[in-house]
Amino acid sequence: MSKKKPSFEEALKQLEQVAEQIEQGKIGLEDSIAKYEEGMILVKHCRDILSRAEHRIQQLQSAPDGSLTTALFDMPEEMSQPEAG
Amino acid sequence: MASGEPIPIPGNQSASRVRSPSGPSRFLTVTQVTTMVKQALESSLPPTLYVVGEISNFKRHTSGHLYFTLKDSWSELACVMWRSAAAFLPFKPEDGLEVIATGGIEVFERAGRYQLYARKLEPKGIGALELAFRQLYQKLSAEGLFDLKRKKPIPRFPERIMIITSPTGAAVADIFHAIHRRFPCVEVLLYPVSVQGKGAAAEIAEAIRNVNHRAGSLGGIDVMIVGRGGGSLEDLWAFNEEGVARAIAASRIPIISAVGHEVDVTIADLVADLRAATPTAAAELAVPVLQDVLASLDLFQARFLRTVNARAEVSTARLAGLLQRGFFRDPAGLILRSEQWLDDVYHRANRGLHCRVHEGRRRLDSIAPSIDRLAPHAILKNARERLRATLDRMHWAMCSRTADQDRRLVRSDERLRILLPNAKTAAATRLDALAEKIPNLLRHRLTLLAEQLRGRHDLLSALGYKSILGRGFSITRRKKDGQIIRSTHQIHALDRIETELLEGRFESDIVALHQQELFE
Repeated sequence: MSKKKPSFEEALKQLEQVAEQIEQGKIGLEDSIAKYEEGMILVKHCRDILSRAEHRIQQLQSAPDGSLTTALFDMPEEMSQPEAG
Repeated sequence: MASGEPIPIPGNQSASRVRSPSGPSRFLTVTQVTTMVKQALESSLPPTLYVVGEISNFKRHTSGHLYFTLKDSWSELACVMWRSAAAFLPFKPEDGLEVIATGGIEVFERAGRYQLYARKLEPKGIGALELAFRQLYQKLSAEGLFDLKRKKPIPRFPERIMIITSPTGAAVADIFHAIHRRFPCVEVLLYPVSVQGKGAAAEIAEAIRNVNHRAGSLGGIDVMIVGRGGGSLEDLWAFNEEGVARAIAASRIPIISAVGHEVDVTIADLVADLRAATPTAAAELAVPVLQDVLASLDLFQARFLRTVNARAEVSTARLAGLLQRGFFRDPAGLILRSEQWLDDVYHRANRGLHCRVHEGRRRLDSIAPSIDRLAPHAILKNARERLRATLDRMHWAMCSRTADQDRRLVRSDERLRILLPNAKTAAATRLDALAEKIPNLLRHRLTLLAEQLRGRHDLLSALGYKSILGRGFSITRRKKDGQIIRSTHQIHALDRIETELLEGRFESDIVALHQQELFE
């Protein structure tokens, strides 16, 4: 794995590769177990990402120099409830 | 024409005047005539006319003013549309297009020409917006902006989503709630823009460009949703403008469009990488359902475990199979058997060696005496013993002889004494004679013995080592100390040796030593 934590998409791609490597049976038992552990770390990483719930929305604000900053977006009261159904 | 009243022809009066043969003061200047025509025309025609015709000779001047001709099968009418009016045209006028032009007739004095000054232009048969849509569609389609191969894939698992829409519209809430319901782990950003009215299209296009430009500073944007809720064609119009279409086409970040309802298809929808029928649908296209993802992760985990377990089982079975083999079943047995074998070999080797030594020793013992006998010193010793024995015998013989003589002498003496003293003389005479004779006899006898002895000595010398040398043997000595060489252990390579033969000797140097193994 790279030093930087992979994105969910990358992690899932790596998981698929690891699964294939193990299933093809071209690697030895020890490597299989190492790969399994690697896979479990990736699975955990994925679960960590998935457990990060952001119950909010950031609104961008343009600064005079054109750069963008974010601020919490207050959703108008009548829109804050999801539509029925 | 709209009024239907007959139009008075002010020119009739002037024409009669021109035709009358009056003086030069009755002539009119071109400007006077034109002014008269202008006044007559403009006062008699209604200020607003609606003219149907086909556009031809269309020209858009660099100033922004439009110049064209409206024609039907019989006539042509020159038309002008000022820049200020042209700016509000959603579609592009072009030759062959049948339009309804709204405006008034005026005379352009400098050219002496009457023209329709159009304030509005609408395509005949279809709406202006519809025409504009068709025109832009054709243009962008010809450029390939709608090609499927241009479409960027939407990431399956976005981490950060940008919504470009109005902060006050229904779309933002719809999108946000749908995203949150499905995949709450994604970060949602809102880029507030106006989505209808003047300047909306420019704002939306600028927002798309800005997000592309600054995605890095925002932590990376995986996908954008651009859209708005439902409305009239005019309300949605910003999403049919070329600027928005071009900004979407140029975006590096994948864009999902979500404009209006299912039935509304805008140019933006066609250029976008993915079109959602509604804002809620856009959210559903942008993110997966968390439960599904978790389930697939569970599947992955189970698949891993199953595979690794299967591999472990196979390996265990192989190991078990190996352990069933002889060596692993009784490893000590193999070692003990090996030790036994080693002992056996050792004993056999030992016994064999002993036998060889014994055999060698026995053979050596049997050979040694004959060698001893053959050795020169043994021969000499033997000869010496035999010589000593001979000498002893000779000595004893001499002694016994002398004693015998003595006894006989005594006996003779006694006989002489006993015999006659007269016989004494005779006897003395005989004795004298005898006395004379005996030493001679003895001498003779000794000489004889000495000769015999010499003869024996000669025999002995014949039996000495010289005679052995004569038989082809030789004696070898170390040159440095004259020691006789009996063993190869006494000499070394490069030693000088001296070999004695019967009739002489020679010297040589040791070139090589070959130890003969007794037990070979």
